[in-house]
Amino acid sequence: MQLSKFKDKDLVLALAQSIKVKSKNFENLRIMHVCGTHENSIVRYALRDLLPDNIKLLAGPGCPVCVTSSKDIDAIINYGIKNNCTIATFGDMLRVKGSNYSLFSASKMGLSVKMVYGLDEAIDFAKKSRQDVIFFSVGFETTAAPIASIIKSISLPENLSFFSVHKYTPNGVLELLKAGKLNIDALILPGHASIVSGLVPYEKASSDFKLPCVAAGFEPADILSAILMIINQIENNTCKVENEYERLLSYEGNKLAQKALNDVFDIVPCIWRGLGTIENSGFEFKKTYDFLNAKVKFNIPFSEDYIEEQKGCRCAEVILGLIEPTQCPMFSKVCNPHNPVGPCMVSDEGTCRNWWEVKGEI
Amino acid sequence: MKFDKITMDHGSGGKLTLELIENVFRATPGLDSAILGDIAFTTDSHSIKPLFFKGGDIGKLSVCGTINDLLCVGAKPMYLSSAFIMEEGFDLDELEKIAQSMRDEAKNANVKIVCGDTKVVEAGKGFYINTSGIGKIIRPIDGSNICENDQIIVTGNIGEHGFSILNERENLNLASNLQSDCAQLTSLILPIIESDLDVHWMRDPTRGGIAMCLNELCYKRDFGVEIFEELVPISEEVSSISELLGIEPYYSANEGKMVIVANPVDAPKILDILHSNPLGKNANIIGNITKDHPQKVLLNLNYGTKRLLSMPLVEKMPRIC
Repeated sequence: MQLSKFKDKDLVLALAQSIKVKSKNFENLRIMHVCGTHENSIVRYALRDLLPDNIKLLAGPGCPVCVTSSKDIDAIINYGIKNNCTIATFGDMLRVKGSNYSLFSASKMGLSVKMVYGLDEAIDFAKKSRQDVIFFSVGFETTAAPIASIIKSISLPENLSFFSVHKYTPNGVLELLKAGKLNIDALILPGHASIVSGLVPYEKASSDFKLPCVAAGFEPADILSAILMIINQIENNTCKVENEYERLLSYEGNKLAQKALNDVFDIVPCIWRGLGTIENSGFEFKKTYDFLNAKVKFNIPFSEDYIEEQKGCRCAEVILGLIEPTQCPMFSKVCNPHNPVGPCMVSDEGTCRNWWEVKGEI
Repeated sequence: MKFDKITMDHGSGGKLTLELIENVFRATPGLDSAILGDIAFTTDSHSIKPLFFKGGDIGKLSVCGTINDLLCVGAKPMYLSSAFIMEEGFDLDELEKIAQSMRDEAKNANVKIVCGDTKVVEAGKGFYINTSGIGKIIRPIDGSNICENDQIIVTGNIGEHGFSILNERENLNLASNLQSDCAQLTSLILPIIESDLDVHWMRDPTRGGIAMCLNELCYKRDFGVEIFEELVPISEEVSSISELLGIEPYYSANEGKMVIVANPVDAPKILDILHSNPLGKNANIIGNITKDHPQKVLLNLNYGTKRLLSMPLVEKMPRIC
């Protein structure tokens, strides 16, 4: 596919100009996206600088690593160390600190950790290992769906099990809206994650909370087009869910992926780091998969004594779009990619990390 | 930053490497080779996984890297040493291949490998080559006369080595045409050193890519750097893999490229010389030295916006979705 078309200078500048003209008489318009890859594009192409001052582009809870609770991280580290098993997970997850340790720092104390790029690698590793291997399974529906498909379709090594911290974006966003935690006027919906879920689950956000919602791809022209579509909705006094990313995203989503998710997982209440427990927002294995569910198989204990936010860390406010990363006093000075204090500084999808890349040391 | 222990990030060639040099070795990070009167002297240790990769192997890499470091300061590479640290059980056929690559590459560069050393360590400890190099200074190029508006040239497509190695090491099976750009640049750079064209600084943008190289260029200096996105040469393959992994080509290592800072009048002439050699066919002027933002590298984007190209602090990880 020709992605360069969506980077085209003339197109991008024309879109920016239209946005400027059409939003001239608007008061502040707060548009939130909920995808780390969107933030990455916005920062990388400095798209905020192409927008007029009255349009605020906010980064919401769109980084799966950032919203993984310390409670889960602590539990997997403690269990892994005491029981001599290997924890396999994605690179981004390794550096996120729980109450005291990240998987990476725990590996210096004897925890066996294997960084993988995908479940297939964890399966290969487990086949060669004599130890139990627990896949710390993190990600939104984008990652949960292929994992569910693999679980359904192949027989896995007996020593491999899963610790699910998967989260379901549409319900997470909806519950945050219900709780009145998001001070926003419109939503840009995540292109990748919505390929799985489709856009139907977001209709409630649009109808119940009067929010124009537009799903967008990740190129500069995609994001600006989505903003323009939102502005058009506001101009026409409508509120609906629209799809800017039609080249890859269908409104109904991927039925096969949805079925795989439904077959393997239940939707359960789930802790989002810094945001507390959010109803109907986590993927947990169905009872029929108890034999794969590490939490059940090994009866992994959870402590209620856990610390989500290190002292002074304002990641929770960043995730809700209440402050910008540079408003956190620790940003860059104490908290940086080498020594991330809060989870948002770890992954390339984290808002603080993205901002650090272009703001550097302040 | 304060640390108790060495981490992998200290070796990634980024900011922490510079801090290690300053704080522990009490040295000033500076040129790629020491200039000792008429002699240039340098050393470099090489570890890479996999040892044999598309476009080269650790032997070729160890010779090319040191030759390129000598060229950086305006020297004609003359002599190399080679020291091997090999794990017990290492395959002799593989060692023979590595040694042959070193001989071939040294011959191509008209450089002699004149001394060496071998050590064997326990199995599982890996395979490493250190090469030191001596060159004859044709004219010292030490960065002391960098001026505002000096032009910045990169000698070819960026990021190929880093992405190619990542692709092979992690079995990502992406972009099959991609290979390391590993090359010694004597034929490309020596004619420029031997000319009277006004070159002020050179560096091979290895670990940390051109982002690190350009940040080093203005590290603790009274000038900054600005480059232009549309001028940076990037191949289709690198562009695609960069999009897929979420890592920008600016941060991906090169092993056969040079960044050259030159007087604005002479820069186009240097470009002509580079273009006459296949190794430099994609060379381009990508930006300039500026006094506007000392110690910072700014990337001017195609849309008229700009942003910082920060000094890498940790090795970039491919993103998960």
